[in-house]
Formats: sequence, structure tokens, C-alpha cells
Amino acid sequence: MDMHSFLLVFWIGVAGLSLLLYVVLDGFDLGVGILSLVACDEDRRGLMMASLSSVWDANETWLVLLGGVLFGAFPPVYAALLQGLYIPVIVMLFALIMRGVAFEFRHASGRKWLWNFTFGLGSLGAAVSQGVILGALIQGWPTEAGNYVQSGWHWLTPFTLLTALGVVLGYALMGAGWLILKSTGEMQDRAYQRGFWLLMGTLATGVLVLALTPLQNAHIAARWTGSSALPYALAGGVAVFAALLTIWAYLKRHEYWPFLGTLLLFTASFTGLVGSLYPYAVMPGLTWNAAAASTGTQLFMLVGILPLIPIMLIYNGYQYLVFSGKVDGVAYGEDHSG
Amino acid sequence: MSATLVTDLSRAQFALTALFHILWPVLTIGLSFFLVVIEALWLKTGDVDYYRHARFWAKLFVLNFGVGVVTGLPLEFEFGTNWAEFSRFAGDFFGAVLGFEGAMAFMLEAGFLGIMLLGWKRVPRGVHFFATLMVAVGASLSALWIVMANSWMQTPAGGTVVNGHFVVTDFWAAMFNPDMIWGVSHMWVAALEVGCFVVGGVSAWYVLKNRNPAFFMKSLKMAVLAAVLITPLQIFLGDGSGQSVFAYQPAKGAAIEGHWHTNPLGQGAPWAVVAWPDAEKGGNDWALEVPNVLSVLATHSWDGQVKGLLDIAPQDRPPALPLLFYSFRLMVAIGFYFFALMALSLWQAWRHGWHEQDWQQRSWLLKGWLWAVPLGYVAVEMGWIVREVGRQPWLIYGVLRTSEGASKLPASSVMFSIAGYSLLYIVLAIAFFIFARRWLRKGPDLTLKPPQAPPHAWQDRRT
Repeated sequence: MDMHSFLLVFWIGVAGLSLLLYVVLDGFDLGVGILSLVACDEDRRGLMMASLSSVWDANETWLVLLGGVLFGAFPPVYAALLQGLYIPVIVMLFALIMRGVAFEFRHASGRKWLWNFTFGLGSLGAAVSQGVILGALIQGWPTEAGNYVQSGWHWLTPFTLLTALGVVLGYALMGAGWLILKSTGEMQDRAYQRGFWLLMGTLATGVLVLALTPLQNAHIAARWTGSSALPYALAGGVAVFAALLTIWAYLKRHEYWPFLGTLLLFTASFTGLVGSLYPYAVMPGLTWNAAAASTGTQLFMLVGILPLIPIMLIYNGYQYLVFSGKVDGVAYGEDHSG
Repeated sequence: MSATLVTDLSRAQFALTALFHILWPVLTIGLSFFLVVIEALWLKTGDVDYYRHARFWAKLFVLNFGVGVVTGLPLEFEFGTNWAEFSRFAGDFFGAVLGFEGAMAFMLEAGFLGIMLLGWKRVPRGVHFFATLMVAVGASLSALWIVMANSWMQTPAGGTVVNGHFVVTDFWAAMFNPDMIWGVSHMWVAALEVGCFVVGGVSAWYVLKNRNPAFFMKSLKMAVLAAVLITPLQIFLGDGSGQSVFAYQPAKGAAIEGHWHTNPLGQGAPWAVVAWPDAEKGGNDWALEVPNVLSVLATHSWDGQVKGLLDIAPQDRPPALPLLFYSFRLMVAIGFYFFALMALSLWQAWRHGWHEQDWQQRSWLLKGWLWAVPLGYVAVEMGWIVREVGRQPWLIYGVLRTSEGASKLPASSVMFSIAGYSLLYIVLAIAFFIFARRWLRKGPDLTLKPPQAPPHAWQDRRT
């Protein structure tokens, strides 16, 4: 394997890993925010947010890493995605701004309900825009010299609304799994109940998206049916297994398998779906290979970033360890404001 | 017509989002080092007041940090959304540097922030101190990469243009481009300076109000001592940056100074203290000039030659000349104000010591510190206006014009995002000021006792 192909694979891998980590980590984080919208009182909302206080910021930085990696290693992909998806990206940023400041400001505010609501609304907005972006990526959009130049909103179709629904339900499902891990008593009971129905909803929407995807995108249809179908069948198999595992975990009211099973479900479906787009980064027409920055740049970035990735994973893991266990609103509140 | 409109809208949006964003990281960087020093003093001396200081300032830090993080996010994506052509053109270097920023700095500071803010009872003191240090290092690394990327746009180096995009041939030369050392150090010290004068100004407020004056004399003293290093250093760095501008970006230098006619050899260029530069007329409407001073400022020699605007093609001249002229002067004036405040405070301490009663008798000095709080921010904003507007009409100086770098977007899309950002940022700013005011009024908790941290992170963490 020559240097060029190696770097290409490496950077697609890093971009994919950042995206996956972002989707699952900020996914449960946004999911807790979405669930907080339907929580019955402010104390409960406060506890939900307290369970995220040490992790939300680090989770969101995977998105920053993704942006940086795409910009550096695949500048045309970075440009085409952001230019072509201008409105959904901007809405996502607005939503992430809202929930980020809501998180920090609620500690200082007497009107907790206002910031809790802002947090929930921001979480929902971010999930909806990410779902729309996913749908738009599957559909692709027409470009001239890399730019979307037509008027009209190519990203707003029944299909992208369906993927948005799927992402909202899926994130909320992960959020429920996280809350099962972090809570006790009645709050945990609620999380089990909501989680189960969210699981059903996610699976139903997921199957529908899966069924409609080949109609949206001939390239993916060819991938799933041709001789190259084996890896996708494998990913599908893992997803089915993960779905069954999660259903079992919910029925058994297991403590951590609802969360871990959902993570596996997301990882498998994500890998299968995004993998199906390969070799395209943006459909139609922009391949990863054509978008790659010069070999020198990709090597330069490799030298700078590769040693950091294990370090980042280790200290993010350390942080989860330090703050593991059930969330205790009093202790967190005290720590923060005292 | 429409393309120009969209470019102007994207410029306006970038100016709005960047000028708003920069307000927060400067305090994050400055305050993070203050927190490192104060925690180190606590660990070293065992004086519980330092612990209480750490907890008190950390509350301001977290309010400020939150806004900094969320307002930084749009900037990372704005190069793609609004400057897609620039991203394609310059991604080979610029994108790589932004990738470093994302990987190293942001992760470091966000990763350790949780432990720094919430981990007092959960990790040993040494680990906590390390986390505080990493947050400071991360924030500074962030500034290093971002300003490095920006300085490359000012003085591009290290590559060639192939097939319509920039290909790096020498990463070292691109990273250490001519402006980089000056740009990064000037900005980093500006952040320390803002932090220093915010800490000093807030402390002076409490001393002035006679609220826990002894407690706050400790932090005011630290601010004065830090200013002894910071304020002269910043003037030196500002002077160096200015010379670098005249050497590498003559159009920007001439625009900042309202300098129209290249001075003949052997005859020094005069410096306009105040003037009204008029682009239409091609000269200053009026000016108060001091002979030879511009040559001294720009070249450090009595009669060094300084290129005038009239020797630069009209289409290569920066716009908004009075804005550049006066932004620059305001920034410089504030830099000297800080220096004078430091000198007067040092004089006060030398004559009368650090007793709060003596300082309270000189309320004008304490008020001078109060004024310094907003002025630091004003200086930073003025500096960025000079730096960025002065680079126009280029996006990458001499290489890519601003009009060539903008995304092709419907104007309505950009109007939508500008409206959204304006609304969000107004709400953010108001909310921040309400909470900061509340923090200020509430004051420190002088009954806090240091936590009994577990000796190891993995013990007793479920409290």
C-alpha cells in the first residue's frame, strides 16, 4: 500500500471515528436533553442535567475534531458539506449554542425552568438538524464546481424528515439508557418505560429508513445487492443482534445493557449506512480520493494528531471513571456552586 | 451585484461572530493562568484564602468559558459555510492547523474542565492541580493554532498555488510565517493582560466598597505584580508587530497611519497623531503631524522609507480608513493607560505598602482599575479590527481576494444566519451580564473549607 492510499484510509478512518464517537456520545447527551422536555418537574430535569455536567463539553468536542479533520485532510468535503447544507448546519449551531449556555447558566440562575427548557429545546433542535443532515447525505444534492447553486431546499424532503425523526428517537433512546445507568428509584423506572417505547419507535423508523434508502440512492442500492453486499449484511446482522439484545435488556430491566446494547445498535447501523456511501463523501460526484488534501498535508496532520488520539481516549475515559456511579443532585450542585 | 452582496454579508457575519467570540477566550486564557497560580499558592502555603479565591474566580471562569466554547463552534464551521472557496483554496494548510486546534487544544481544555470544576472532592489535590494546569495549557494552545492560522493569512508562506489551490511545500515556513511570532505573542499577552486587569479591577471594586478588602488586596497585589511584567512586554510586542506590518503588509501599515506619500530617501516620514483620511480625495482632510516619527515607528530609523497609500494600486488599498486609523490609536492609548496604571500602583505599593486602608484613601487609583476592566476588551476588539480590516481587500494577503473566497449562497440564507446570530448573541450577552453582576454582588464564600480529597481517584468517588 503506497503512502497516498494509506493516508487516505487513515484519515477516512479518523473522520469516521470522530463522527461515530460524536454521534454516540453527544447522542446520549442530546437524548437526555430531549427527554428532559417531558420530565415531570424541575428537580428531575436538574438531576438529568447534572448527570451530564462533567461530560457534555468533552462529548461535543468530537464534533470539533470532526470539523478540523475534514477541513485539514479533505478540504473540498468540508467546503461542500457546509456550503450545501448551510441552513441545517446553521440551525444545528444555533441549537448547540442554546443548549451549551443553558447548561452553564442554569447554575447561576434563579429561573431554572427557563434554562432547562432552553437546554431541552436546543437538544431537540440539534438532533433534528443532524437527522436532516443524515437524510440529505443519503439523498445527495446536485452541485456545480462543488457548490449547491440552485434555489430551493434540497435538504427538506419527506425522507429527511423521516431520518430526523429516527435520529431524535434514537438519541432519546440512548439518553434513556444513560439515565437508567445514572439514576435510581422512580426516575429509573420512568427511564425503563420510556426507553422501551423509544426502542420500539427507533426500530420501526430505522426499518422504514432502511427500506427507503435504496430508493433514494442508486449507488447504495447497488452496494447492498451486488457482490459487495457481504459487509453490509454483516453490519445488518450485528444491528439485528444488538436490537434483540436491547429488547432483552429492557424486558429483564438490566442496569447497563440497555445503554450498551443501544450503543452497539447505533454503531452497527451507523457503520453500515455511512460505509455504503463509500467511495463517495458527498453524493453525487465527490469522492474521498478526489477530495484528499496533498499527501504532505495528510502526513503532517498524522504526525501531529495520531499521538493525541490515544491520549484523548484515555483521559476522556478517565473522566467517565471519576464521575461514574449514580448521579446525586446534591453533591453535584454543591460542587458546582459552593 | 448579488455576489458582492453575499460576500459583504458573509464578511459582516464573520466580523460579528469573530468579534463576539474573541471577548470570551481572552478572559479564559488570562483567568486560567491566574487560577493555576492561585491553586499553586494554596498548595504551597496552605493559606485557605487562596483556596477560596480559586473557588470564587472559578465561578466567573465557568460562566465565561461556557460562552467562549459555544461561540467558538460557529467559527470552526463558518469557513465552510460562508467561505467554501477559501476552504478549498487554503485547506491544505489552514485546515490542517484548525485540525490541530480541534485535536490538541480544545480536547485538552474541555477534557480536563470537568475535573477542574467538579472534581475538588473526587480527585487528589495533585490531580486537580494538573487538571487546572491542562485547562490553561489547552486554552493557550488553542490561541496558538488559531492565531498561527490567521497570521498565515496575513503573511502567507511555505507553498505555491497549483491548479487553483494552495499546496504546502514547507510546513515549517508556513507555520512560522513572518507574522506568526508577533501575532501569536501579541494576542496571547493581550489575553493575559485582559485577565490581569479583570482580576485587578474586580478586586479593586471590592476594596473600594470595603467588602472583604483584605481578602481582595491579595488578588489586587497579584494583578499589580503581573502587570509589571505584562504591560511593558505588550508595548514591546505591539511595536514589533507594527514593524512587521510595515515590512510585510505595507498597504495595511499606510492605511493604519493615514500615510499617503512615500517619503523620499533621506527624509523621514511624518506621523499623523490625529487626521481624517479620505479615500476619495487620496489624502487626509486634515492632520496634526509630527515629523520623522512614522519612520521611527515603522523602521526604527530616523529617515526610513515608508510606502504611502498613493503608491499602492487603488484596488489593493484597505477600505474604511478612518476606522483603521482610530481603532489603532485607541488600542495603543489603552496599552499606555495600562502601563501608567501599573506604574502608579507600583508607586503606591512602594510608598505605602499593600494595606487596604491606604489604597482606599486613593480611590482614584482603584477607580482607574475599574475602568481597566472594559478597556482591555476594547483594546482587543480594536486590535482585531485593525488586523482584519487592514488585510482587506485580501483574504490571504496578496494571494486570494476576499471576493474570490466567499461561498456562493443565496443572500437570504446569510441574512437568516446573521439575524439568528445577532439575536442569540444579544441574549447571551445580556444573560452573561446579569449572572456576572450577581456573582459580583454575592462575593466570595469566606467560610469554605478545603475538601478532604480522596488519596486516590478510584476510592470514595461515589460520595
